[in-house]
Amino acid sequence: MTVLAADTWGVPGPTFLRFYLLAALVVVVGSLVYRSRMLAGQPTVGAGQLGPQQVAYLNGGDQLAIWTALGGLRGSGAVGVGFDRRLTTDGPLPSGVTPLDQAVYHAARNHLHTRELARDQRVSWALTELREGLERQGLTLPPEQRAAARRGAWWVLALMALGAARIAAGLANGRPVGFLLIACLALIVPLVLLARVPWRTRAADAALRELRRSNIHLSPASAPAYATYGPAGAAMGVALFGTVSLWTLDPGFAEQAEIQRQALNSSGGSGIGSSGSSCGGGGSSCGGGGGGCGGGGGCGG
Amino acid sequence: MSGPDTGHREEAAADLAGRRAEPGGDLAGGRGAPDGDLAARQTALVAALVAGAPLPAGFAPAPVEAARVALLGKRAGEVARHWPLLAAALGDAWWNTFREWADGRRTNGSLRDGWDLARALRERGALPPLGAEELATREAAGRYDGRHPPRPRRLPAAARAGGAVAIQFAGRVRLLRPARR
Amino acid sequence: MTGPSGVGIGWRPEIAGFVAELPGLRFVEVVAEAVPVTGPLPPGLAELRGRGVTVVPHGVRLSLGGAEPVDPARVAHLARVAELLDAPLVSEHIAFVRAGGLEAGHLLPLPRTREAVAAVVANVRRTQEQLPVPLALEPIAALFDWPEDELDEADFLREILDATGATLLLDVANVHANARNRGGDPVALLDRLPLDRVSYVHVAGGAERGGFYHDTHTDPVPPEVLDLVGALCARHRPPALLLERDGHYPPAPALRAELDALAAASGFPVVT
Repeated sequence: MTVLAADTWGVPGPTFLRFYLLAALVVVVGSLVYRSRMLAGQPTVGAGQLGPQQVAYLNGGDQLAIWTALGGLRGSGAVGVGFDRRLTTDGPLPSGVTPLDQAVYHAARNHLHTRELARDQRVSWALTELREGLERQGLTLPPEQRAAARRGAWWVLALMALGAARIAAGLANGRPVGFLLIACLALIVPLVLLARVPWRTRAADAALRELRRSNIHLSPASAPAYATYGPAGAAMGVALFGTVSLWTLDPGFAEQAEIQRQALNSSGGSGIGSSGSSCGGGGSSCGGGGGGCGGGGGCGG
Repeated sequence: MSGPDTGHREEAAADLAGRRAEPGGDLAGGRGAPDGDLAARQTALVAALVAGAPLPAGFAPAPVEAARVALLGKRAGEVARHWPLLAAALGDAWWNTFREWADGRRTNGSLRDGWDLARALRERGALPPLGAEELATREAAGRYDGRHPPRPRRLPAAARAGGAVAIQFAGRVRLLRPARR
Repeated sequence: MTGPSGVGIGWRPEIAGFVAELPGLRFVEVVAEAVPVTGPLPPGLAELRGRGVTVVPHGVRLSLGGAEPVDPARVAHLARVAELLDAPLVSEHIAFVRAGGLEAGHLLPLPRTREAVAAVVANVRRTQEQLPVPLALEPIAALFDWPEDELDEADFLREILDATGATLLLDVANVHANARNRGGDPVALLDRLPLDRVSYVHVAGGAERGGFYHDTHTDPVPPEVLDLVGALCARHRPPALLLERDGHYPPAPALRAELDALAAASGFPVVT
């Protein structure tokens, strides 16, 4: 047996590779199982008990929760907007409101711009309260739990560091390192997967899916009658389907208050094809949102 | 019974005059007319109601005029439903703007009516920013030549109106830049 | 698939969430042209069907009163919608909505002549041949009369119903509107209509504008129309009453109050 070069670190390449792959498998599978458990969440309430702002936070974080509060307050006529594009209070604060509603209403009384709401002290306190409530309900992950769910990524990184060291040593030693290199590179995939930790639990995902299904009548495609559904319906529409709902609810307010335009999980209702039926024009032949039907003295229908 | 004549009114009337030559197409058919007259009488009435043609013989002008105006109002409401931002942008002026534009002009459906109106306003420089954004979004999403029903665009596209720029990629439309305000 | 019964409401996407939450609801109506025949039913309608709520397709663009024959594609659509919804009947209007290639965008009245009766009857028969279920016909509201009218409203309707075997969809608000705008006593008209052939009744709101009563469907139901519902039910109570609302939807409590008022006027159970 001619020894051209000693085995790197005294361990033969195939043996090392075998143990390395085994370790990688154990670490990756173990981490995925652990992570999956951490992310499941233990919902303590049903989807139906979640308020619009909670739903909004789960769906789009701080900013959507703020828009939702604004949608509810606008729906009940409590806030308006001035010519200077700053918020105003148009009516009294309705009863049964959330701390975030109170904070946004207070901000409107101080004539804040919608852009400034997220930075407002009271608003951010209310948002913290909202977030902590959702953590307690097993719908969002507190920072320590997110860190724990990310732990597997560190293990994978450690394995990759070990592999890299062995590759470097092997190269210096003139040994083949191709397979180990491939194994190391392949670990990038689980590394990225494990490093990315969502901030809401799977229970929250399921709750959102269920709410979108049961509130499909609030989707912009249905042109919801917000007057009928009331402020809570308006708020839930924003929470589930984005600020596009605020634009449908009150385009004048949305424009003047410079509400960002964003559609969530909906086509945004561009209108093309929506009226492509052979009968020309979807909806009923009667009425007409803007009012003034009554043509010829009868919708007749 | 009708408002001021417009070019479109004349076009519509000419269109109907052409139809007069068709068999049984006596638009002015009156009381006690023979069988086969119903089609012509109905055509004449619809033309008077929606295309600016003169009132057919025998009808009481005031009620038909009330019906004609109510019909325009209904049409305006339907177009507003298809073009909510355009209508909202015009606010109280929506009804009059629409009425002025639509009077005597036959409808091509609410989507196209709103589209044509938005383009007409753009040409006059009277398209409000929110309406411009809605128009840009629509033009990025669909191809409309003004004569045939709009069709969804398959290829990526950009459209602009009143400073607003909208882009469309794979059927998703984004407003890239808002209109000048 | 039971026939319409009790107090119902016109199902519209805009208020689908409101309609879905009416506990006692047994019957709704949907604008037939708004129901797609390819792809799934609108979610709200599918849910109502799942609950056993009767859904009646209501056509608005067939133009049964047009001098030209009805468009077979439109009839086929109506028939398909009836099948999809497992509907016990469908309804359309005694009216025309287009002529000579022009769309009126609305239901227009017919001259009450034998010629018009013949045109309607021919079109209704063409439609009935293709429909899997019976057809109910609804007289419309109009602001004006035709100069060539030969028959009065009751005779005109009776001739059409007799010749076609169709049932009547009576719109009480239209009866009120016609009496207000074109003269006549609404209650006397009720007395001359074949009330035993009414499949169901429409009730809707309207408003006075420019000296005319407009049947807008976007305003509250006026007391006169509710009184007429009471007068109708005192003579012959129809199997069902349906509230039509097509825009300017009010807050939910106001809409519920209108449904309750219908229940009170007719003696049907409250659905809210």
